[in-house]
Amino acid sequence: MEQAEVMLDLLFYIFSAIAVAGALGVIVNKNPVTSAFCLIAAFIGLAALFIQLDAYLVGIIQILVYGGAVMVLFLFIIMLMDMASEERRRFGLGAVAAGLLVSVVFVVQLLRVLGDYSPGSKVLGVLPADAATDVEQIGKLMFTQYYFPVQVVGVLLLIATIGVIVLSKRELK
Amino acid sequence: MPAYYLEIIVVVLGLTVLMVETFVSLRDKRSLGWLAILGLLVVLVLNFTVVETGGEGGNTPFWSFYVMDIPAQWFKGLALLATIFVILMSVDFSRVLSKGICPEVEDDGVDDCAENQVALSEFFALPIFICAGMMWMASAHHLVSIFVALETVTIGFYVIVAFMRRNVGSLEAGVKYLILGALSTGFLVYGFAWLFGVTGEMELGAIADALNAPDVHRTGALFAFALILIALCFKIGAVPFQIWIPDVYQGAPMPVTAFLSVGSKAAGFVILLRLLEPFMASEMLNANVTSVLVIIAAATILFGNLAALPQTNFKRLLAYSSVSHAGFLLMAVASAPAHPGVVSPVAAVSYYLAAYLMMTMLAFLIMNLIRVQRGDENLEAYKGLAKSSPFLAFAMLVAMASLAGVPLTAGFVGKFWVFVLALQEKHYYLVAFGVIGAAAGFYYYLKIVKSMYWDSPADAGSSAAVPVVVAWPTRIAIVLLVVGVFYFGVNPGALLSLFL
Repeated sequence: MEQAEVMLDLLFYIFSAIAVAGALGVIVNKNPVTSAFCLIAAFIGLAALFIQLDAYLVGIIQILVYGGAVMVLFLFIIMLMDMASEERRRFGLGAVAAGLLVSVVFVVQLLRVLGDYSPGSKVLGVLPADAATDVEQIGKLMFTQYYFPVQVVGVLLLIATIGVIVLSKRELK
Repeated sequence: MPAYYLEIIVVVLGLTVLMVETFVSLRDKRSLGWLAILGLLVVLVLNFTVVETGGEGGNTPFWSFYVMDIPAQWFKGLALLATIFVILMSVDFSRVLSKGICPEVEDDGVDDCAENQVALSEFFALPIFICAGMMWMASAHHLVSIFVALETVTIGFYVIVAFMRRNVGSLEAGVKYLILGALSTGFLVYGFAWLFGVTGEMELGAIADALNAPDVHRTGALFAFALILIALCFKIGAVPFQIWIPDVYQGAPMPVTAFLSVGSKAAGFVILLRLLEPFMASEMLNANVTSVLVIIAAATILFGNLAALPQTNFKRLLAYSSVSHAGFLLMAVASAPAHPGVVSPVAAVSYYLAAYLMMTMLAFLIMNLIRVQRGDENLEAYKGLAKSSPFLAFAMLVAMASLAGVPLTAGFVGKFWVFVLALQEKHYYLVAFGVIGAAAGFYYYLKIVKSMYWDSPADAGSSAAVPVVVAWPTRIAIVLLVVGVFYFGVNPGALLSLFL
């Protein structure tokens, strides 16, 4: 038991490090393709964290949808862009300083808030062994209790579809 | 009639507009705009007939996401009215719109794209879907339904802000709105996550109970409040999250700017009121929440009014003016409820937003006509308007007087209640900032009146001397709005009695 917990902690730190390093890579790299691949690394780290929390469906969707489909789309778009101009671009000292300031203030704030909680003050219960799979539970919730938001999301997707057609079709007829 | 039928009818109306465009060959697609306006008017009438609860099905899970109370009904009405005026403007705007969408034509070629009124039906349909989203926002009472309704509205706005895709200004506005909108959504979801973490609830009534319990974690709750406030300040354009407003308002097509400044703001405020209610009701958090709101309100009033002073582009000026009105509205939001004999903050905000809708839509209807017929959005174009089009000049005078807060107009009553509420709460510094802001407002609003009535156009023989043509539907709308500004300015009880 003891060993398993140490292992879980170790894995948590490893995957968190991957996620954070990937996220940093996205903003530090100047080459958009490298940034996109760093984003995939961040998504994979996140997916592992979700799976560690027994949220298998969320973890798998993170990899399939974000790591796979969305990133392929991103890469396509990046390939169509003018890469050289991206590489040449320089950021002003003011912009970098302001960005750093805001994020440092935010992180300090977050750390202060988190410091207010004592470790272990809220412990997640262990799932019962005979519980339904998370796919089943999420599916049930979405189509029973949460059917109203799901319907609204349908309208949202309709708007997005119309928008994509109107904004990107080459020759509107 | 159950309330949720309203949104369903609106969505079906949007689909109908798209389907009619696809399957019926119309000579002039502007008639789709009339169809949309007619449909929305019917829904507006139906909005008065809805019953408050679901009756038999009142216990289904649906009613934890959706409430029907007086503010919900009121803001649904505002959303419908705003959309009607926006589509009315879009009908006038269609010529400029096709210029922003179609490629340049060769000398001898026939302009197929403009001839076919390309994408015009989408320009009518998208505001209808957004209107449905705003109506869901007005009724949303659960973190999940708030989020999906808000995103429906925001995604729709991303599209229509960038709608004139060959116009650099419109594209720039679209990108800026997209990036900052996505950022604010991130803050909102993070705030919701904290709120859920602290309270363990997602329904606002249950959250209020949880925040009132003695064992709630104060720091966590305040952090959730701060994150949510940041996100909503983006939506309503409060300092320091107002940076996107001038550029986006200036770049977006005129009807979209009007929609953003009225519809989006009203929807943002209804969500703000709903989400702040549990925090304001909690005795432990009340003092901190109020002080943050007071500071933001003071900064917003000061920035909005002072930055508006040097503007020469009318749209940009109204953008800063909308920031300043957000400040005045926040003044009311920062006042706690429960003072007998005075209007509640919810009533004051609702009235103010109705007044704001009337006067801003009035200004935008006229700006839209000038933009289409004279091709100019700058204050220059308004010089000598009183001579060439006295009717429009008078209507604009009413709009500006009401925006500035001249007595006997709806704008004055709105500001009056806000100041009464702030004095009641003894926010004296805030009142002082409000007075400075209102005084600065008089200068830049009346500057427009001066140039319409006392200045003569730079070159007398040009288009400025030609009267502006006003089609009869637009004329009716302008007359109704002018009458409304005066009627509800003299007799505010007609609207406020709904809340008493």
